[in-house]
Amino acid sequence: MWIVIAFCAVVVFVIVFFYNSLIARKNQVANVFGTIDALLKKRYDLLPKLISTVKAYMAHEKSLLTEITEMRSKAVSGRLSDDEQVELDNKVSKVLGGIMVAVENYPDLKANQNFLQLQRTMNEIEEQISAARRAYNAAVTAYNNAVEMFPTNFVASMMGYKLKKVFEISREQREDVDAEKLFKS
Amino acid sequence: MKTLEDLKNFYDTTLLADLKVLEKERRKVVFKLTCIIVTILCVLGVCLLLWMGNLNAIPAVLIIPAVLCIVIGVTLCSFLTRGYVIKFKSLVIQRIVHFIDENLKYEAHDCIERSTFMLSKIFTTKPNRYKGDDLVWGKIGATDIKFSEIHAEHVSGSGKNRRRYTVFKGLFFIGDFNKDFTAQIVVLPDTAEKLFGHFGQKLQSLNILRGQLVKLEDPEFEKNFAVYGNDQIQARYILSTSLMERIVEFKKKTGRTIYMSFVGSMVFMAVSYTRKLFEPRIFQTLLDFNPVREYFEDLRLAIGIVDDLNLNTRIWSKQ
Repeated sequence: MWIVIAFCAVVVFVIVFFYNSLIARKNQVANVFGTIDALLKKRYDLLPKLISTVKAYMAHEKSLLTEITEMRSKAVSGRLSDDEQVELDNKVSKVLGGIMVAVENYPDLKANQNFLQLQRTMNEIEEQISAARRAYNAAVTAYNNAVEMFPTNFVASMMGYKLKKVFEISREQREDVDAEKLFKS
Repeated sequence: MKTLEDLKNFYDTTLLADLKVLEKERRKVVFKLTCIIVTILCVLGVCLLLWMGNLNAIPAVLIIPAVLCIVIGVTLCSFLTRGYVIKFKSLVIQRIVHFIDENLKYEAHDCIERSTFMLSKIFTTKPNRYKGDDLVWGKIGATDIKFSEIHAEHVSGSGKNRRRYTVFKGLFFIGDFNKDFTAQIVVLPDTAEKLFGHFGQKLQSLNILRGQLVKLEDPEFEKNFAVYGNDQIQARYILSTSLMERIVEFKKKTGRTIYMSFVGSMVFMAVSYTRKLFEPRIFQTLLDFNPVREYFEDLRLAIGIVDDLNLNTRIWSKQ
């Protein structure tokens, strides 16, 4: 009799342990995703300042600036699904990279202290976003491993947990900002 | 950064003339030390002979002069060598430091403070015996640096139960990191994962003294180091993919055990050495390029951390 009770207690304990660890992993994913959101918001807040600073100088990149302004309006509208949001964020990163490279052709802009400060802040936010995405991928990997691996997969299927997608980081994003390229005179 | 060829030129054109003068002094010191050692041995020999000639003699009568002789001899030796070491450090080490970068400052008898050593959070054991020397500080490009030799020990118990544990011995470096952050991240040599693989990683995650285990994407880096911190995102913000590669390269280049931490927007690095650094070899000639090359390489390794970790890249808000 006592053996049966002890066995049941152990089983319950193990299930509770797995259950809690799965919840912790799911929350970790949500927590990091929230940080990415906050950082992206910070980036979108900075964009108007950047655009207003560079538009006086960048005569030939008007289309890029218009494009990024439209993307920003779309992003902050809050009408996008998670996947659409991620896709748009990636596009913004790409266009922003294009603008930063185009800055090379405008020595006056490169000498503008206001722009330099904005550029530094932008670099910082971009790197923080990249770090948050890496952290998100690590959290998702840990979560997915728990959902797929034995024996937590049984508890995960009972809880209806599904695999989550990791961020696909493009080659350009994976590379660090090239300081020499940005600041060469 | 200066090369070995530059050092050879500097050695031939500038340093050698002064070394020749110092070499004469070294020989005088060696002669005096030899005299002292021979005298001590003679006194000990006489005491031994007297004791062997009369085994009934009270040992204390012979032991007291023998011990006195050793104490006086050792004090004299240390007095003689201290003067020479001071001259050696100002003539050789200080000049090599200035040769590498003339803006750097050097203080032979100072070291990184114990509080700073503990602030790094690299070592959890608090040393109760702490000493060091050869403090170098200054600015390399945009980066403030400071480093010195440190020997930190923890001694516990007394008598037969006395235990001496070396917390750290080697070169301790502090640099101004190029990004601002509030987290505390520690990068330690990875022994558990190397020995036990995946199970080792599980063991690492149980290390409650160190905070959360941060699993990073670079397999080479993960093979060599275990990272702990209180913020997963900031850990990745600090340890960018390129910095991880640079740390692995630095470890390969030095071939030494390396500990690192990132605290208060500073980077701390502890490079283990078993030998003493920047000390003269009294019984070896000074007119040999090899020891000078060794001092230069040890200094260049520390000063070169700025370039090796790319600390002068200031493209973020922190300037």
